[in-house]
Amino acid sequence: MNAAACLTLAGIFFVAWCKQRDSWVHLIFSCIALAAAAIAVFELQLIHADTPQEYGAILRWRYVPVWALVVSLVGFTRLYLRAGRSWLAWSACGLKTLTLILNFISTPNVHYREITALRQLSWGGEMASVPLGTPNHWSLVNQVTLLLLLAFFIDATIIVWRRGDRQRALLVGGSIIFFGVIVAAQVMLVVWGVIQVPFVSSFAYLGIVAALGYQLCDDTVRAAQLARKLDASQAALLKTERDLEIAASAVGLALWAWDIAHDEVWLSNQARALYGFSPSEKLNTQRIRRVVHPEDREVVRKAVENSLRTGAENPAEYRVVLPDGRIRWVARRSRTEFDSNGNAIWMHGVLFDVTERRLAEERFRLVVDAASAAMIMANKEGRMTLVNKRAETLFGYKRDELIGQPVEMLVPERFRSHYVSFREGYFGDAQARPMGAGRELFGQCKDGSEVPIEIGLNPVHTSEGLCVLASIIDISERKQAELEAARQRHELVHLSRVTMLGELSGSLAHELNQPLTAILSNAQAAQKLLAGDAVDVSELREILAEIVDEDKHAGEVIQRLRVLFRKGEVGHHFGNLDINRVVQDVLKLTRNDLVIHDITVETELAENLPAVQGDRVELQQVLLNLMLNGCEAMADCDSSERQLLITSGMENGAVRVSVTDRGGSISAERMERVFEPFFTTKANGMGLGLSVCHNIVKAHRGNIWVTNNAEGGATFHFSLPARSQAQKNNT
Amino acid sequence: MAVPSGPTVFVVDDEAPVRKALSRMLRANRFAVATFASSKEFLGQYDPDASGCLVLDIMMPGNGLELQRVLQKKGCTLPIIFLTGYGDVSKSVQALKGGAIDFLTKPVNDQSLLRAVRAAIEKNRVTRQEQTQVSEICSRLAALTPRERQVLEHIVSGELNKQIAGHLGITQRTVKAHRARLMAKMKVDSVAKLVCLANRCGITGSSS
Repeated sequence: MNAAACLTLAGIFFVAWCKQRDSWVHLIFSCIALAAAAIAVFELQLIHADTPQEYGAILRWRYVPVWALVVSLVGFTRLYLRAGRSWLAWSACGLKTLTLILNFISTPNVHYREITALRQLSWGGEMASVPLGTPNHWSLVNQVTLLLLLAFFIDATIIVWRRGDRQRALLVGGSIIFFGVIVAAQVMLVVWGVIQVPFVSSFAYLGIVAALGYQLCDDTVRAAQLARKLDASQAALLKTERDLEIAASAVGLALWAWDIAHDEVWLSNQARALYGFSPSEKLNTQRIRRVVHPEDREVVRKAVENSLRTGAENPAEYRVVLPDGRIRWVARRSRTEFDSNGNAIWMHGVLFDVTERRLAEERFRLVVDAASAAMIMANKEGRMTLVNKRAETLFGYKRDELIGQPVEMLVPERFRSHYVSFREGYFGDAQARPMGAGRELFGQCKDGSEVPIEIGLNPVHTSEGLCVLASIIDISERKQAELEAARQRHELVHLSRVTMLGELSGSLAHELNQPLTAILSNAQAAQKLLAGDAVDVSELREILAEIVDEDKHAGEVIQRLRVLFRKGEVGHHFGNLDINRVVQDVLKLTRNDLVIHDITVETELAENLPAVQGDRVELQQVLLNLMLNGCEAMADCDSSERQLLITSGMENGAVRVSVTDRGGSISAERMERVFEPFFTTKANGMGLGLSVCHNIVKAHRGNIWVTNNAEGGATFHFSLPARSQAQKNNT
Repeated sequence: MAVPSGPTVFVVDDEAPVRKALSRMLRANRFAVATFASSKEFLGQYDPDASGCLVLDIMMPGNGLELQRVLQKKGCTLPIIFLTGYGDVSKSVQALKGGAIDFLTKPVNDQSLLRAVRAAIEKNRVTRQEQTQVSEICSRLAALTPRERQVLEHIVSGELNKQIAGHLGITQRTVKAHRARLMAKMKVDSVAKLVCLANRCGITGSSS
């Protein structure tokens, strides 16, 4: 009857297990019930045993289901209650197995060394055999095992009790301990011959089986109730999930979740579409990893690793290769859930499609890279956030070496402090404009060389705040060309000056010979005086003074000539000049020539003219040229008509000098061409004089022009910008 | 400036230091010197009787060559020494054609200038001497009657008394009388001397 009840339960739960293969608890319970049934059968046979030998053998075989039951119980406790120390469980099971082995080594069994006789006594209205014999000392191992088991079950029960699941603690843990202690006590008392009753532990085992069976049934009922409730809430849940998905997809978010322990990945429909998965495909991390672009797998791996470690959001952007081979940029964010032991169990997150933005960025980068100017974007702190290809080649750095670095590294040492204050000022009033107006700018390359550059600045409002985009143009070639042009102009101007001085040479020789004549004659007069008897000292003194004066005069003449013949350096020796001084210098130079040509010169020079900036020699050359032209124009005039007028004055904020002659007028057609190179009306002229004047004046940012006079003759004018008061203060 | 009575070196130069130095040097060599700043100034004080020479800068206001022309027109006998700062061939040729005695470049050595000045003064002296002689002969010529003058011209032409008488339509005896009178007036004792004097006064013969 006992065995039948147990078998029935075993059958029921075995069927339950068959239907639900992962429900191992049910299988184990079946084993327990089966073992209990087997024990009941063996005990029944013990009662009816006739000889001590038969009794010993049955008792030995009875130990097999006992062992099975105990091991199953331990397993049940671990699985069902999820409690109990595993070392206790393992050692108890181990010892129990050892006992089982000892049971088969010893004769007749582990309980008795020998069974001497069987006593027949009446028990519950029936005749039952009770053994008489000496107990086996190996049964001590069994008793130690029982103690270990007791400790294991008590420990498990306490854990479950503390967990709050008191019903299970009482029913499962309590019944196992209670009936277990009874069984152990009864077996020991019988074996040691303290009481003389047959082995009836099967009743206690039945109690355990009943208690466990009740609990399992209770669970099943509750599960059924829960399932019903779940069905109801499932619909609501699905709706919530769908709503969430709709809301998420409306803002372009796709949802995902990862069951880490089981490596199952759930993706919302939106997310599946994003990755190119079909709606039904079962997903895990391996599958997802396969669609990530190979170059970005490391990025994703790192982000996931970080999430697992810190649980933080860890955003990352990566490419996904769709089944049709298209590339899609995806951004991810996630959050991790941990269990009480700190193990990551779930990871949830969102995905969104950033392909558009990425493509826009890519296009932007391509455009910037294709630009012929070097481009650098810097933030408010002056750190570079964007650098294009041209900038790399211009400065000789790799992109990685520049990004995040301060822009100052590209500014030559001597400009750095100025640059920093400039940058701060720029952010105060950011607008598109060229940098360093009027000043020459230089960039510092990686190899330490400097390159002349021109910089345009544009404020750019980015998501990271106000930045400045600098487009940089290498102007070294232009500088070189400018220098070359200046050099050629300089050569031409000098050549023309030397040619002109050649024309003047007669006059210049005379100019120099005058003081030399005076010196020589004075000196020879002195010699003569000294050769005489009475030396007139005062006259000698006078002679020497005059010699000194004339020598100085000659020196000045040579100095003037040297300046005019000097080639000088390329580039201007600009200084502040009084234009009237220039006029007077030229008059001194040409005095003799004018005398020879019988030309009288009148001057009307305005007083207090502002200074002009210019090269003294070149401006002298211009005036000299205009005066000689005027003289030549009057070569055929009557000597009374040979008059040259030189005037200076202010006109429209510029200083003007005019040279008026009384020669012929210039026809309208010629007037337009007089400043062209190689245009000449002279028989042996090169046609360079006026074009050189034109070049010089233009290089001084001035103007040169010609007008005809009402009373005949022409007037050549040139004007130069006057230096303002402010400029004067600056220098 | 007062013109000294003896031979004087007239220095014309537009630059005072040069003028002063040249005159100082010449004076140291015992020459009388007069200086002028321009041709205008010189012409303003020009004395046709002045003796000596002219030291002239070719490059000066009014132009040295121009002054030379003006003086020639006036019959000035002062020899001119030109000074120039720059050897200009065309100008020097012009100057020498115009009768310049020398053409010196500045700065001029005292020896060269003194030699030129001495030569010029000597030339001027000879010229002036000749001029004195010629003017005396001319005054003798002026004392001749028209008929005597006519006879003289025929004599210079180398005609005999007979031919003269034929040309003038007078007797040989009358020609002889005129001849004796004019020889006395011209203070000569031979026909050869007479012809020589007449030539110096520009009488080359009868133009009949």
